[in-house]
Amino acid sequence: MADISTTPDAAVAPDAPSAWEPRIVAFLCNWCSYAGADLAGVSRLQYPTNVRVIRVPCSGRVNPLYIVKALQLGVDGVLVSGCHPGDCHYISGNLVARRKFAVLKSFLHYLGIEEGRVHFSWVSASEGNRFADLIQKVSDDIRRLGPARQLRKEAK
Amino acid sequence: MHEVEIKMREAARTLLESGKVDLVLGFEQGSLPLRMRPCFARNAGATVGLVWNDFCANNLAAYLPGLFQKPADVRGSWTAPTVAVVAKRCDARSVIELIKENQIPRQNVVLIGMPCQGMVDPRKAQEAAGANVTACKMAPDKQVELTTAEGGVAMSPREAILADACLECATPAPQGADVEIPGPSRPSAANPYGRLSEFESLTARERWDAFVGEISKCIRCYACRQACPNCYCKTCFIEQSKPTWAGVGDELSDVLLFHIGRIFHQAGRCVGCDACVRACPKNIDLRLFTRKIVKDVQELFGYVPGMSLDEQPPLCTFKEDDNESFITHP
Amino acid sequence: MHKKAMVVGAGVAGIQAAIDLADMGVETYLVETGPSIGGRMAQLDKTFPTNDCAMCILSPKLVEAGNHPYIHILSMSEVLSLDGAPPHMNATILKRPRYVDESKCTGCGLCMAKCPTKVPDPYNKGLCTTKAIRIPFPQAVPALPVMDASRCLFHLSGKCGMCKKVCPTGAIDFAQKEEILQVEVGAVILASGTKEFDARLKGEYGYGIFPNVMTSIEFERILSASGPTGGHVVRPSDKREPNRLAIVQCVGSRDTSAGNEHCSAICCMQASKDAIIAREHAAGLQTTIFYMDIRAYGKGFDRFVDRARNEHGTRFVCGRIASVESDPQTNDLTVHYITPEGALGAETFDMLVLSVGLQPSESSKEVARRVGVKLDASGFIAVDSTRPVQTNRPGVFACGSIAGPKDIPDSIMEASGAASAAAAVLGDCSVKEIKVEYPPEKDLRGQPPRVGVFVCRCGINIAATVDVPGVVAYSATLPRVKHAEEMMFSCAQDSQKAIRAAIEEHGLNRVVVAACTPRTHEPLFQKTLQAAGLNPYMFEFANIREHCSWVHQKEPQKATLKAKDLVRNAVTKVILAEPLYRKTLGVNKNALIIGGGLAGMTAALDLASQGLGVFVLEKGDALGGNLLHVKRTLDGQETAGKLADLIKAVNDHPNITVHLNARIQNIAGYIGNFKTTLDVPPAQIEHGVVIVATGAQEYEPTEYLAGQDGRVVTQRRLEEMLHAMDTAGLAKLNTVAMIQCVGSRDTQHNYCSRVCCSQAIKNAILLKQLSPRTNVYVLYRDIRSYGLRERYYRQARELGVIFVRFEADAKPTVEKIHGELVLRVYDSILGATLEMRPDLLVLSTGIVANADNRSLSQLLKVPLEGDGFFLEAHVKLRPVDFATDGIFVCGLAHYPKDISETITQARAAAGRAATVLSKATIEAEGKVSAVRAERCSGCGACVAVCAYRAIELDPERHLAVVNEALCKGCGACAATCRACAIDLGGFRDEQILSALMAL
Repeated sequence: MADISTTPDAAVAPDAPSAWEPRIVAFLCNWCSYAGADLAGVSRLQYPTNVRVIRVPCSGRVNPLYIVKALQLGVDGVLVSGCHPGDCHYISGNLVARRKFAVLKSFLHYLGIEEGRVHFSWVSASEGNRFADLIQKVSDDIRRLGPARQLRKEAK
Repeated sequence: MHEVEIKMREAARTLLESGKVDLVLGFEQGSLPLRMRPCFARNAGATVGLVWNDFCANNLAAYLPGLFQKPADVRGSWTAPTVAVVAKRCDARSVIELIKENQIPRQNVVLIGMPCQGMVDPRKAQEAAGANVTACKMAPDKQVELTTAEGGVAMSPREAILADACLECATPAPQGADVEIPGPSRPSAANPYGRLSEFESLTARERWDAFVGEISKCIRCYACRQACPNCYCKTCFIEQSKPTWAGVGDELSDVLLFHIGRIFHQAGRCVGCDACVRACPKNIDLRLFTRKIVKDVQELFGYVPGMSLDEQPPLCTFKEDDNESFITHP
Repeated sequence: MHKKAMVVGAGVAGIQAAIDLADMGVETYLVETGPSIGGRMAQLDKTFPTNDCAMCILSPKLVEAGNHPYIHILSMSEVLSLDGAPPHMNATILKRPRYVDESKCTGCGLCMAKCPTKVPDPYNKGLCTTKAIRIPFPQAVPALPVMDASRCLFHLSGKCGMCKKVCPTGAIDFAQKEEILQVEVGAVILASGTKEFDARLKGEYGYGIFPNVMTSIEFERILSASGPTGGHVVRPSDKREPNRLAIVQCVGSRDTSAGNEHCSAICCMQASKDAIIAREHAAGLQTTIFYMDIRAYGKGFDRFVDRARNEHGTRFVCGRIASVESDPQTNDLTVHYITPEGALGAETFDMLVLSVGLQPSESSKEVARRVGVKLDASGFIAVDSTRPVQTNRPGVFACGSIAGPKDIPDSIMEASGAASAAAAVLGDCSVKEIKVEYPPEKDLRGQPPRVGVFVCRCGINIAATVDVPGVVAYSATLPRVKHAEEMMFSCAQDSQKAIRAAIEEHGLNRVVVAACTPRTHEPLFQKTLQAAGLNPYMFEFANIREHCSWVHQKEPQKATLKAKDLVRNAVTKVILAEPLYRKTLGVNKNALIIGGGLAGMTAALDLASQGLGVFVLEKGDALGGNLLHVKRTLDGQETAGKLADLIKAVNDHPNITVHLNARIQNIAGYIGNFKTTLDVPPAQIEHGVVIVATGAQEYEPTEYLAGQDGRVVTQRRLEEMLHAMDTAGLAKLNTVAMIQCVGSRDTQHNYCSRVCCSQAIKNAILLKQLSPRTNVYVLYRDIRSYGLRERYYRQARELGVIFVRFEADAKPTVEKIHGELVLRVYDSILGATLEMRPDLLVLSTGIVANADNRSLSQLLKVPLEGDGFFLEAHVKLRPVDFATDGIFVCGLAHYPKDISETITQARAAAGRAATVLSKATIEAEGKVSAVRAERCSGCGACVAVCAYRAIELDPERHLAVVNEALCKGCGACAATCRACAIDLGGFRDEQILSALMAL
């Protein structure tokens, strides 16, 4: 496999305090939250640039290990967003996911991962505003917390 | 205690003699002090070796799934054995979960439900005696007499050297077993999650430091996983490639990932038997973390593992009105 | 001629009809007068009774219709005439100018951004502005702008032309003219819907005069997160959140003075929904609904109204508004109303929402006239209750609210039913193969990834913010990238050619396009890959427009960095892409229909007439079901003869095999390939679909002396008596009283049985007609003569039937005193207790689910809802499908419904089934789950979380097996498996982790 683990854009050193910008990954379900993000774009709503979206078919696709793994890989914050309960394109994927996320979030909190590192939310296809506000909030939370170091695997 | 042992042996013998089972899985005296080892009694004669005492801590459910898999060297047809298992309630609850997870065929297992007064934690005994303990026997006034390797004798209240899992056990008495051995059991623990609130009251930083402090002792021997009845995956996620979830070295971050992942995988399944704790050669306080998952699953979904064969495992189902107080609203 | 059809009107009904036809291989013209498809549903915020987001569930359908190879959308078009007879008809269509060349426009929206003329936005009901040239709404299909020539400066004065100047593709065409198109079609479906009542015509409500009075559809836009206020509930006069909201029902409905006798069928539920949603937006909001009857007649409706009342503090006040006054200072509104007791009440509100009714639109009436279809007295298309969806003209069908007001699921059912009926007309025509021929796929095994990256400028949409050349240069440095290129519009035709050429020239085997959203454009690029001999799944999208340039317009540098990250991510993911293939499965061309009542027989005949084989299973010893007990329809038609004809047609049809006294022992298999074991010969039958049409039962009353006194009968019994008795016998009846909601809307059955009001009205009318001297009383809670049934309620009152309202907590009582039945009821309108001594007491008993639904649901592995009826896949948009593919439901097994609705739903089920059975093979999803056997322990967690029952445990090998035909690719199984033994193609763990690593 190609070496893809290095970040070519490392010119902005992730931890240089002056230049630190949070890196946030958002797992968005294709049918509602990704569409809500699209609508935010169509509506030209402005929100922070820190979020990188990974599109998944359904919030139910998100293996809780992804979230832990993201923190290990140096992400400063994780957002998972799906369809509102009842709206799931796959009938109940978000509801099964909700249980996993409830347990994971509580567990990470218990272990001492700072509150606000990991977020779960629902955004519908017509909630462009909510999406933009959500990104603003998550971004603010994580900026306040500073870089996530707890699980980070230091680059060798 | 002795009476219970005799009745258990009788039951085991009857089951084998009547041909109802092919095998009784129980405990026998081993070579290590304060620890019984599994006994696979395949005929009535072998039941004389079965023991029941304060040291039958192991969760025998862990041995069951393997008994129902067709051995690799057998060609052609093969009939799964019927197995009776000498089971404390915690073991029985593990069996229930394993049945639900299709690892044990219900019709091939006979649960011999044992009354339980709690099992001795050899480490606590050693601490109480201040030396290596070679023997431990009941004394009057709920005391135990500990004989040390040097030949000394120390006394300790029995309660003080019981395993945490037993002190916090909400289900000591047998229930729903196929064969129930009569006898006294401990009362149910008033607070099965005793140590959690104290830990929860620490700051996030303190909790994280404590977690890392424990996990940094880990040498990645995976004994916790091997001992756990729930860890029957053919290849644990931590050892997979394509994708690789974690490096193979001793890097702390990878070790943390392993334990977070393994304990998360216990959600809705862990019965709190502490097999992982007993197996850990580094005395990592895994119970402090496994209990949290158990408590959350109970509080969030009203689910206690191993109580019924009919309840759907909690992470495989949902309710429309499940708790969603954790959802972020902008 | 091959199978061709035309659907007129592209609201949700028209879209569904077109998709169903297209899925049956019928080439379909979808003719829409507006610039885009979607109809009124696209304007709704949420949908009752589940509060689903309307756009979330509609927009996939819009995209599906837009991309379907068998659907041609003719927007801006109307039908001028229709000649000929089915299946050889000619439609003449007028296509009005859009002033935008559809073949050149990329939908970039630059014209809209630069247009200087602001105009009221019709999508938002004029509550905000848009431009004279505009894309109608963000999710519009086709996603093309339309120019409003009446407001365009260039059209008005010859000046401006800004849109033409900025359009990068030269798509603006001011000279575009009307065109006349001729299309040959075999069948036509009219679905052009209704319009809202003009509230200005009810001057007493002050709409158009007082600023804080708005219509329900305007309020939908206010509630919508994408509406003019972003979902903030504020009143127009001062943009303040209201505390007191009033919703007024029946504005322009059930109102002959307004010209509309009919009930609009949807407003009660819409108002309840709006009350719930508004309160979610504005905590503490007090909502009052002024109503005449609460018509919560559908599945889950009564519980929904209960929620509005009990959980969201909605106050329901029975009464009609006399007048509204507005305080000139505060713009608060004082509502004067007549209380149920006849007294005048007055109350002040901050805001008033008028539930405007639905009425036939002039354009719908005009279309009907042009194609020669008769209208009823109300102006809706006239439809016989025993032949729903059929018009008087052969080959022309109607669905949706053009044939009477109705809600979305009822419209969808009619749409699928009309599609089935149209397909039957086209039965003998051939199917045109529409298939794009692609070159054979290149074998990539053993070849290292060679990635091409194409970065779109999207005119200036991306390039104005993101440094596109910089992104291209960066992309070229990424591992495995062999080619990177900038494009003005990557979606344009010449760009597709350029991508194909680059694939050839550079030997690319994977492609990344950095442009807009994959949700609309992925299929386009996938086709381009296929045209270049690549598997369509060797593709990734980087969304640098909606997710980057448009949302970071003020931060070009950061946006450029982000665009590079997104490209890097996509490259990483595409490197790990593997070719995926849609599995094809053979289809057994037979249907199994469970139940030989009206629904089952209707569905059977529809399918049989399309040349498909049908097995009808009936557990009883005769066909007919509940219809055997119904003597006539609400519109007065005798049913016995029609039923006999139907049974004969089923028995005589060569394609139908009836098994009486048959029960199912086992059903195995999946869509296209079921095997069912019966307890009668032949023991086993094979079939491709299942239709559940098992009906329901009449509630057996024990209350009101039922079973203890011979004079207490059910409506069903009364119907038989009316049928059998002579006039002299009936004239002896001095007083007949009917009690509604017996076994409905109570704690045990918390739902409305839907048909009993109409049944009581039907029998009351007949009784009055046969014996005018008999006093007929109907004791009711709400009269639910929804839609066009209202006219019979009115007729009954005109004939002198007396309707007495009682409250749920003050039910009537019956005693036997000196041999007489003494009935007492507290009339909540008169405010007095009435006593009557009926000669006959008729109980309007409800409909209850069959007890054996439970066992059938287990055999089929499909769910039941709380009241024991079968639960469809989606209460709004998939009313006859189950979540499990290939299984459908219709008739009373789904929910109580009348004869006409049962026939409609049966035809809908047949239509949906035909979309499966008409195909030689069915194609599964490409991105499906796969099990790694060496990791699977067979624990069954994946089986439990799969909503589609697509995974089973193989007991022999002790591992999970995915049925690719059923898998929808949601990935819940993969996320649940602790051993990572099941993975989702296209979204594999490895791909997602590598994307994370590349962040």
